[in-house]
Amino acid sequence: MESSVLFLLNTSYAVLTLALVVLGLAIIFGLLGVLNMAHGEFVAIGAYCAFAVQSAGLPLILSLPLAIITTGAVGWLIEASVIRHLYKRPFDTLLATWGLSILLREGIELAFGLEYRSVSEPVSGSVRLLGVDYPIYRIMLMVALLIGFAALYVWYRRSNAGVRVRAMIANPQLATIVGIDTQKLARLAFAAGAASAGLAGAMLAPLVRIEPFMGIDFLLQSFFVLVVGGLGSLEGLFIGSSLIGGAESAGSTLMGGTAGYVTVLLISILFLWLKPEGLHARR
Amino acid sequence: MSMQQFTVQNLATGYGDLQVLQDISFDVGAGECLCIAGRNGVGKTTLMRALSGELPLISGGIQMQGTEISALPTNRRHGLGLSYGPQDSVTFAPLSVKENLTLHYQDQNLERYEHLFALFPRIRERLEQSAGSLSGGERKILSFTRVMAEDAQVVLLDEPTEGVAPENIDHMATVIRSTLQARHSVIVVEQNLSLIEAIADRVIVMDHGAIIHETANGPELRNEISNLLKV
Amino acid sequence: MDRRAFLSSSAMALAASQLPRVATAQATPVGKPLKLGFLIPRSGTAGLFGPSSEACIELAVNKINAEGGILGRPIEALLGDAGGAPSDTVQAAQRMWRRDGVEAIVGEHGSASREAVAGALRGQLPYVYSPVNEGGYCTDGVFTTGETPSQQLAPAIPYLAKERSIKRWYLIGNDYSWPRITNAAAKEFIEDSGGEVVGEEYHPFTTDNFDSSLANIRDSGAEAVLINLVGGASVVFNRAYASFGLDKQALRLGTLIEENTLAGIGAENSGDLYSVSGYFDALDTPAALAFRKTYYDTFGVDAPVLNTLGQSCFEAVLFLQAVIEKAGETSIDAITAASEGISYSGPRGDVTMSGRFVNANIYLAKAEGTEFKIIENFGGIASGTTCSI
Repeated sequence: MESSVLFLLNTSYAVLTLALVVLGLAIIFGLLGVLNMAHGEFVAIGAYCAFAVQSAGLPLILSLPLAIITTGAVGWLIEASVIRHLYKRPFDTLLATWGLSILLREGIELAFGLEYRSVSEPVSGSVRLLGVDYPIYRIMLMVALLIGFAALYVWYRRSNAGVRVRAMIANPQLATIVGIDTQKLARLAFAAGAASAGLAGAMLAPLVRIEPFMGIDFLLQSFFVLVVGGLGSLEGLFIGSSLIGGAESAGSTLMGGTAGYVTVLLISILFLWLKPEGLHARR
Repeated sequence: MSMQQFTVQNLATGYGDLQVLQDISFDVGAGECLCIAGRNGVGKTTLMRALSGELPLISGGIQMQGTEISALPTNRRHGLGLSYGPQDSVTFAPLSVKENLTLHYQDQNLERYEHLFALFPRIRERLEQSAGSLSGGERKILSFTRVMAEDAQVVLLDEPTEGVAPENIDHMATVIRSTLQARHSVIVVEQNLSLIEAIADRVIVMDHGAIIHETANGPELRNEISNLLKV
Repeated sequence: MDRRAFLSSSAMALAASQLPRVATAQATPVGKPLKLGFLIPRSGTAGLFGPSSEACIELAVNKINAEGGILGRPIEALLGDAGGAPSDTVQAAQRMWRRDGVEAIVGEHGSASREAVAGALRGQLPYVYSPVNEGGYCTDGVFTTGETPSQQLAPAIPYLAKERSIKRWYLIGNDYSWPRITNAAAKEFIEDSGGEVVGEEYHPFTTDNFDSSLANIRDSGAEAVLINLVGGASVVFNRAYASFGLDKQALRLGTLIEENTLAGIGAENSGDLYSVSGYFDALDTPAALAFRKTYYDTFGVDAPVLNTLGQSCFEAVLFLQAVIEKAGETSIDAITAASEGISYSGPRGDVTMSGRFVNANIYLAKAEGTEFKIIENFGGIASGTTCSI
């Protein structure tokens, strides 16, 4: 009983944090058709924001606005200077964002060095939940993410801006025809995607290792989720996160850590092979 | 000099290195309907895409009420009063019919569609359905109602009747005629000669990316165009 | 890496040039500088050991040069990063050897890098391996000054088994030879103490989610967890361990939980956590206190905290000083011959090499907040490995 409660909590945690990490990549891919290879570096910048805030002796909560502003601004600049010229050239954007990822990594290394950094949790200790001790910070994170995603979903489904975003994903040509400024929306989307990755990094900073190369793992995970979930919809994002997060959680619980990775890799390969559109593509 | 509602001068455009249209010039006055006829693949849709802003010009110009618009992106032309119903991909498929009709209005009000719903009740019946679930003809009607409700100074329609049932084509003609009465200009690419006869003031016929014939609507129109299209 | 190695060696040279006048007045080293290469982690999961190690190397160089160098030659330290893949460490070693002309290399890094570097040096260059290690290897040219499982765990496991009545042990480590071989040794000590191993797991360096391991530890009913994780991985694991409330279920014993790792784990997560080592910042023997005083006097109270790995770099230089002075030269044959039975005195006390490994005093410490408190002195213990000379 208690083991299954723990498994359930761990799986929910894995799924929710995964969805948080993938969100930025999904926004940018869904709206712009750009597979942003520098996605992981935006997560890393967010995590380093948390490290910088804590090193400066400031309350960790300040890292959230700092991460959003920093990564949002970097994203905006990158879109305005590089990506803007490369839309509809998927291979070129792939190369360009890959190059940017190296540049950002070097920048991080220059600013913070190669060592592993760590950020301590703003609240430590555990709470007793259905008979198991669970870290308070994780519970808080999960609650915040649930609320955040629910709000995002309502916004995406119900608000006028959400409809326009979905319209641009569904038919970018027609969106400009009905008067939507897709260039502006694209720049906003890139900045928002980057900021969401930065926010993910800041929120997860106390729970992960922080080093200049940390982004690569996040990029890979996010990529798997998009492969499985399908591209360009919030529903696909949740389905993909649940499948990948759940499979990794179950795989590593039953057969150990390496088996978790292998399970995820196998699922992704199967999807690429048999269902390249993913489970929930653009509906 | 009287200012024309919409003027195209020596327009040339194409895709990449391939030039498709050359030396296209015409103008359309307020309350005038210009129909563009021609066989498939002669550049009619390419012309509409150039006029709407989807395709950049190689040379030439487009003026709306004296303002040069050829350098403006599609959404800016829309803002200046140019509405466009494209030939393909005419709806946001995953969005509901209602969302398709309201997403570009801040107030999301459906009242502006009341007179159109009266003519095309199927659209009202399917408001909550996704646009992708409509038939091809219904999607065309949806696109048509979206364009006509915008009440724009200049309306571009690319084959609005494709797949649409005859009685609805008649309704379309009714709607277009009332728009013309409001002194708006309409440019229609069309294959359906009955619609052309019902709405056109003038007709231009295209072939190989150029205008080969221009004529006013009249009793001989059908024969005149049929002969040109046969060749 | 080149530029950085150059920068730090210039910094070292500069620091050395600003030694107290008293010291230089005693004996000014003359002759060709004796270059020593140091492979220390400055990146990756072990990167948090880097700053302490660098400071200790600087301290050792200052000390030796103030005493007149080795064989009258001033020593010069060249630093290379050993925090990445073994192949990168090998490249750094090759550059030091072939291009910069170092006459000995000190390695404070993982065992995978040690095997790779030793292979590249082919026993032709003295190579001092200073950190905690798995023991049992006899690669040519390698001199080991760090603690082996026989030294750390042979006393610590029975002690805890008895004092805390521990029967059920869970073993966790990073996935490479040091943790695996150390755990293999640990199993014998656990069995000998009447206990059993209820689980054993290895994680790649990049793991930062230990949820499944923590769930397994919980379900296994373990009473103690032996941790052979390195640096950043250890920090992440130990934090999660305590935040899941497992510190109330099972004590933790680390073979490489030093002061930087403990600082990363944090006071709120360090409940019931033991560490076994030959050196702690908290060690209060006269030799350790003297070392500590010089270190913090030199670098200030905000210096990187002293730990077993920094100390191991310092001690490696003392070993080289002793063995080169005795051999009278730096050739591998002379040094190998001179190494047998050589003694020197460092922060751990008197150390004697035998069969290219050393005896060591071993201490068990318990974390109190972010500091260690030494709770048991196991005395001098043999390495358990004797290599032929």
